[in-house]
Amino acid sequence: MAVFVFIEHREGKLMDISFEALSAAQKLNDEVIAVLSGENVGDLAEKVVKYADKVIVVDDPKIDTNNEAYTRVLDELIKKEMPKVVIMGHTSMGMDIAPAVAIDLGLPIATDVVKISKDGNIKVTRSIHNGKVLADYYLKDAETYIITIRTGEFSAEELSEKNGKIERVDSPLKEEITNKKFVGFVQPEVGGVDITQADILVSVGRGIKDKENIPLVEELAKIMGGVLSCSRPIVDYGWLPKERQVGTSGKTVKPKLYLALGISGAFQHVAGMKGANMIVAVNKDPKAPIFSVAQYGIVDDVLKVIPALTQKIKEIKG
Amino acid sequence: MDIIVSVRKVPDTAEADVMVEKSGKDIEKSRLTFTINEWDNYAVEEAIQLKEKYGGTVTVITVGPKDVEDILRRSLAMGADKAIRVDMEDPEDAYTLANILSAVIKNQKFDLVLFGAQSGDFNRGVTGVLVARMLGITHAAMVNGIEVLDGSIKASRELEGGLNEVYDIKLPALFTIQTGINEPRYVSISGIRKARKKPLEVLTPSDLGIGSIEPMVRLDKMYLPPPGKLAEFIGGSTEEAAAKLASILKGKGVL
Amino acid sequence: MMEVEETNFDELYEVYACMQCGKCTGSCAVSLRSDFNIRELMRIAILGNNEDVKEHEEIWDCTSCGICTVRCPRDLKPSEVIVGLRSILVEEGEVPSTIRDALESIGNNNNPWGRPKSKRADWMKDLDVEVKNLSEGDEAEYLLYIGCTASYDTRIQKVSRAAVHVLTKLGVDFGVLGEEEPCCGSEARMMGESGLFEMLVEDNMNLFKDFGISKIITLSPHAYNTFTTDYKDYKKRLEEEGIEIPNLELDVKHYTQFLAELIEEGRLTSDMMNEFNKTVVYHDPCYLGKRNNIFKPPRKVLSIIPGINLVEFERREDRSLCCEGAGGRMWSEGTGTGERNAVIRVRDANTLNAEIITVACPFCLSTLEDGRSTAGYEESMEVKDIFEILDEVLK
Repeated sequence: MAVFVFIEHREGKLMDISFEALSAAQKLNDEVIAVLSGENVGDLAEKVVKYADKVIVVDDPKIDTNNEAYTRVLDELIKKEMPKVVIMGHTSMGMDIAPAVAIDLGLPIATDVVKISKDGNIKVTRSIHNGKVLADYYLKDAETYIITIRTGEFSAEELSEKNGKIERVDSPLKEEITNKKFVGFVQPEVGGVDITQADILVSVGRGIKDKENIPLVEELAKIMGGVLSCSRPIVDYGWLPKERQVGTSGKTVKPKLYLALGISGAFQHVAGMKGANMIVAVNKDPKAPIFSVAQYGIVDDVLKVIPALTQKIKEIKG
Repeated sequence: MDIIVSVRKVPDTAEADVMVEKSGKDIEKSRLTFTINEWDNYAVEEAIQLKEKYGGTVTVITVGPKDVEDILRRSLAMGADKAIRVDMEDPEDAYTLANILSAVIKNQKFDLVLFGAQSGDFNRGVTGVLVARMLGITHAAMVNGIEVLDGSIKASRELEGGLNEVYDIKLPALFTIQTGINEPRYVSISGIRKARKKPLEVLTPSDLGIGSIEPMVRLDKMYLPPPGKLAEFIGGSTEEAAAKLASILKGKGVL
Repeated sequence: MMEVEETNFDELYEVYACMQCGKCTGSCAVSLRSDFNIRELMRIAILGNNEDVKEHEEIWDCTSCGICTVRCPRDLKPSEVIVGLRSILVEEGEVPSTIRDALESIGNNNNPWGRPKSKRADWMKDLDVEVKNLSEGDEAEYLLYIGCTASYDTRIQKVSRAAVHVLTKLGVDFGVLGEEEPCCGSEARMMGESGLFEMLVEDNMNLFKDFGISKIITLSPHAYNTFTTDYKDYKKRLEEEGIEIPNLELDVKHYTQFLAELIEEGRLTSDMMNEFNKTVVYHDPCYLGKRNNIFKPPRKVLSIIPGINLVEFERREDRSLCCEGAGGRMWSEGTGTGERNAVIRVRDANTLNAEIITVACPFCLSTLEDGRSTAGYEESMEVKDIFEILDEVLK
């Protein structure tokens, strides 16, 4: 029995989620078959095959970053190879493709899964109700199960090397996709700063002490791919403009990561950011209320932590 | 442009303490408040803005017992023209739900169907695309921008890492809407009162010719995750703490 | 013709009587630092074009302090006109997103803070005394009405606990409503959401009746003001619409009034207190002072504290500088620039060498504490509710 792993890549680069999906697949102790499709993807196969028993490569200019094309190619490969499980990321791409494959082939699908176990049948664990409840689900008996995994739940660091073979197959895609045409990637404008739309907010409070220190934080935000925001006093001091202010009277934000640097956590501020997926706080006062909403905390002087963190993230990002 | 929007009523669990019923089949709901799913609210707003710009109608649909009707009334107050509720308990899985919704939608006249990209209760993020495929229409998930062209729509999809990708999609189509696509309007209480006059149709599964559907995914049990500490303090020297934090952020996929 | 819920604007507010004298603008605490110009907005109300209202973002700057209404030579209510103009925006759904979120939260969670109803009693967790809960069958003479902000804001929760300590020490027969306590709706009304406010009046009057409540002590001047004035007006309005509201004669007191009465009755005396050798200045909240002429009771309570050095702001009583905490301003920053009134206030207190600014309102506590941090007086000055001082000094 084989496990398919759909390899996600973008603009010539493999996405981290692909390795997480490989890691999830390896845990099932079956043959791991990576599916790598797209245009000019040959070079990527070498990196993928390290962790797979086999990489099926479909190189076809018609695929051209089009999710409908990916879907149809995957449909055909599943029909041909009949894997027990197909794993892909619960990413924007996975959300566009996986349910379509499930209906095309009449297969059960479980999405945003945090654990996969084989308990006679395939059993998946999902984190629901804002992460406050875990739920186990069984999938209906079928030839193949489609599973999308949550980002960050299956560690790529646990991958073992397999160094399998690369198999190039002809593209099963017969014609161009016309009903859903890929136009291009667009980087949202950065001109106007809308902190409510940012995935990562690097937010500063009075702990940064001086306007002179704002550039330090700007650098960190830039390295992290985030946007700078702040608590009310920073606006009052005129160190940052009003549109950067987080709080019930400023802007209510829900980023994926909220990094609170030197913010004590006044109620109005906290009420404006508590919806963030992940809150990390750095403050020298261990009793600061911000820590009561944070998942991770560092008790230290922000002015020391900021440059250190900037350095470490630079190293990680290479 | 005639638009159908699928909406869902969900418990607000963002800050509440959530407990699981003894049966392990559901959460305890008595102390929770229920609202329209956040993503669906953006979808309704988007539909209404499109209607305001291009004309046409907006129909909101939902599946559930009578007490979910308030989210339909709210959507009508926002500017939808018509509402449909399929009278039954919330189906066990997305596949069953998608079957019911597509049975409703296929009897309607539409150019565009909007779903929320996911729902705040089960965050499956799957129902919309299932429905699109059942209806045999083109879809795009995680849409955060819509530009209407002649017979097609330029839809922007939100990708990870702050990038968007744009597709040109032929109508009829189904989009699942990501939050942030617009700024949903406030719905005043008097607005909701006034919308009482708008039509709300109630259908039963048998009206739709739906018998029993076998779920594809079955809940075994719900349980609480092991209690997490509040903040996990990262210790060590400044250098060590910064290194640990950087690796946590990388591990969680946020970098 | 400008209309609010199908009622002619002039019929509601007599805007045609406005002679555009500008006394309102001259007295306004916000126009000092923003484009908010109430005379101009009165003119828009007279001209009566709904579209004009949408162009005035600063309409959300008003703190509803009420000074314009106090000063109007024609006895008009400019502060109510603002509420009316806001309700036009509310009806059209065109409100700032933070205001929208606050209003939706009142509708969904019975508080504007976006916090779940099930956590409303969290402030009681650290209490070391038993409190009656009137929603759980306990009976008491008074309801201590905590209010949303003092229930959820972690800083102001301390005031709620101090209130319980003090009232318990004084042998007052009181209880609270815990999780069942509703939003009073004052801010909903001031943000222009009168439909929501009507709903709260109806629900709350029924709730008070169901739990046998007629005497209420409020922590917040806003709850006090709305229970004693707006609830009466809206009861009439609702009954005209055919909605039955229980005939309850609510006896509502702000806690400073209640404590001042205890002093008169000899139930609260200096003998019961330890020395408190601090320089203290009292900040008049608008909803006690300007709106209800309650100036003496808080001062009376403070004055009997032995050792206290009570000083006064130059701008006090009906000229007290508004802290900019109400009228929806907790959920809207406003267009103002320059130093906040709260910062000006703490600087004034600093000139008076005050060690403590004392308040009798949760919003004032919140804004002045923020102002104190911004001004950098964290080491030298405290902001405390009168209840907190009493809790400290009572033996």
